[in-house]
Amino acid sequence: MCKPDLNAAISRLAGGLTYASYNALANALEAVGQPASDLPALRVAILRNFTIEPMLPVLKGEIALAGFFPELYLADYDVIAQATLDPGSALYRFQPDYIIIAQWLESLAPDLMNRFVSLTPEQVTAEVTRIADLTNEIVLSLRRHTPAPILLNNFPLPAFPALGILDAQAEFYQTQTIQALNLERMRRLRSQRDVFWVDYLSVLARLGAGQNSDERDWQMSRAPLGGHTLIPLGQEYAKFVRALRGKARKCLVLDCDNTLWGGVVGEEGVGGIQLGSTYPGSCYQAFQREILNLHDRGVILAMCSKNNEADVLEVFQTHPDMVLREADFATWQINWDDKASNLARIAQDLNIGLDSLVLADDSAFECGQVRQQLPQIAVIQLSGSPSTYRNRLRTCGYFDTLTLSSEDRERNQMYRAEAQRKHLFEAAGSLEAYLLQLDLIAEIGRVDGLTSARVAQLTQKTNQFNLTTRRYSEGEIQALAGRPDADIFYLRLRDKISDLGLVGVAISRYHGEQTEIDTFLFSCRALGRGAEQALLAQVLNAARQRGSTSVSGWYRPTKKNGQVADFYGRHGFQLTAEDAAGGHWELKLERDRPYPTPKWIRLELHAQEAQHANH
Amino acid sequence: MQTTETRLKQVMADVLGLEPAEVSDATSVDSVPEWDSLRHMNLVLALEAEFNVTLSDEQSVQILSYPLIKAVLQEHQVSFSQEA
Repeated sequence: MCKPDLNAAISRLAGGLTYASYNALANALEAVGQPASDLPALRVAILRNFTIEPMLPVLKGEIALAGFFPELYLADYDVIAQATLDPGSALYRFQPDYIIIAQWLESLAPDLMNRFVSLTPEQVTAEVTRIADLTNEIVLSLRRHTPAPILLNNFPLPAFPALGILDAQAEFYQTQTIQALNLERMRRLRSQRDVFWVDYLSVLARLGAGQNSDERDWQMSRAPLGGHTLIPLGQEYAKFVRALRGKARKCLVLDCDNTLWGGVVGEEGVGGIQLGSTYPGSCYQAFQREILNLHDRGVILAMCSKNNEADVLEVFQTHPDMVLREADFATWQINWDDKASNLARIAQDLNIGLDSLVLADDSAFECGQVRQQLPQIAVIQLSGSPSTYRNRLRTCGYFDTLTLSSEDRERNQMYRAEAQRKHLFEAAGSLEAYLLQLDLIAEIGRVDGLTSARVAQLTQKTNQFNLTTRRYSEGEIQALAGRPDADIFYLRLRDKISDLGLVGVAISRYHGEQTEIDTFLFSCRALGRGAEQALLAQVLNAARQRGSTSVSGWYRPTKKNGQVADFYGRHGFQLTAEDAAGGHWELKLERDRPYPTPKWIRLELHAQEAQHANH
Repeated sequence: MQTTETRLKQVMADVLGLEPAEVSDATSVDSVPEWDSLRHMNLVLALEAEFNVTLSDEQSVQILSYPLIKAVLQEHQVSFSQEA
């Protein structure tokens, strides 16, 4: 057997996503056998009623590309209900981080797929109800034993409908019956937290199912996923892992010439570029519309182009067919410097990590240079016909998240407001004068049904100002909030320029006279205003009121949270223990003196919080 | 430019967990313990992706050694040079 060289296998896969190189990485992972500090374990249990094995090398490879060591538990063929009902089953002993329930309708309801025409309407309804009930029971029994997020799949529509051309003519025929079944399963599970649907229907529709090789492997091995679907479906599962583990990227950086429009504006002029309602200009318009869709979803937009800034801005200001506006971009670097330096400046301007950036560029040279010098940045190299560009964005999955909050929708606006604040700061002279001018108001409260989704999202996404980097799902946040020995505080911040939204989270665990800070994090865009001190004061004062004599917390270093290494030290905590995983800090509480909020911040305690304070 | 032999050996090595140099005319389902029915399915899918072919039902179960894989790929107009 080959000697395991994980890094070589990972970089080979990153350079070309072929099915063979996924297999090579899966074999290398198996040979290495165990997680390491730079590749922590991620445990996935898979329950299935079909042969999903051919997809597993892709799933393992994608999990490794996301920075985790995949540990898989694959239940036997078609024992889903048994495995979930038995509290002592190998499934629960495995303690999964994620559970995949992969169901194929032809195994589950052969008559619905193969003998549809022979069924009476009553029998069809009974089958739909039976399958929806079954899915529901599986999820409910899983939830009695584990909070792990559950990934279910919807059912693809038949490639060859039972009634031929008649099938599409009425809602009670086969195709629409299966649609209705998909909707019914989703409807029943809507109120369940951390249950997600992997969209087989649209992935397989995009790729074309029902090809000869699919049928061959189904008949021979009960493996219905054809060779051409394995990579996209494995990637689809991995997108959920990325989203739930804080690996979603935040900013799309766009080149201009031959990316946002066809041609070179510096040579051909605004009138000479390709952009409009007819081909090939229509491809670039479609690409811009997709970029605008990402913008609406909260992706920050930036431009990085070797050009004269005035030429590019003239296109934005005067070209009638531009979809994107100057105001849609949070920042740009349009000059003749090399792309790597410009990208580093963009990350710095926005105060986000390089691994939050995705570059879309048509130049093989620029893409290659960026891949080599800044491998943290994801690169989408646009090549071939411009008609393929928008689907490259649609399928990349780099920005996919599992929540869409009002903060997301307004993110670009917030980053522009940040630029305005920079100007105000430059005019104010001193930091304190500037902060006093901002009229900062911090609202602090305990997490509730309205805020739990955003709080969970922040634990999943915040990397830099995060003392312990513990990721929580929304279900876990709600469970924790219900415990008498824990508090989850959030902080909303606004100033005279804009509302920054919910930007800070602290989780306290109370053990007798000890209070332990489980989580303390702040969104980067809200730093530098002393609001983190306001939130810490709240944690300390709440601990005091509960009779704690000391508050302690870990700093767990990661590659990204170096800026908070001395956070506790700066606020008077003493280092009491240190191990490979970080330092433990402690503060003896002063009984009679409340901890103060910076004088430039007005504190608004949420109603229920003010009540706590009065007791 | 990689020869067809090199590409084939690389795919077999990737799926079966071998070094490309270990793949030879003697490589078969009997000589490689890791070559089980699930790996075999992955091998068929990887070959189809690498050489852009679709194997027939019979071919997908016949290809149980390196020489047999070569022969089946040749039936699909994948050409191998004479040396090697």
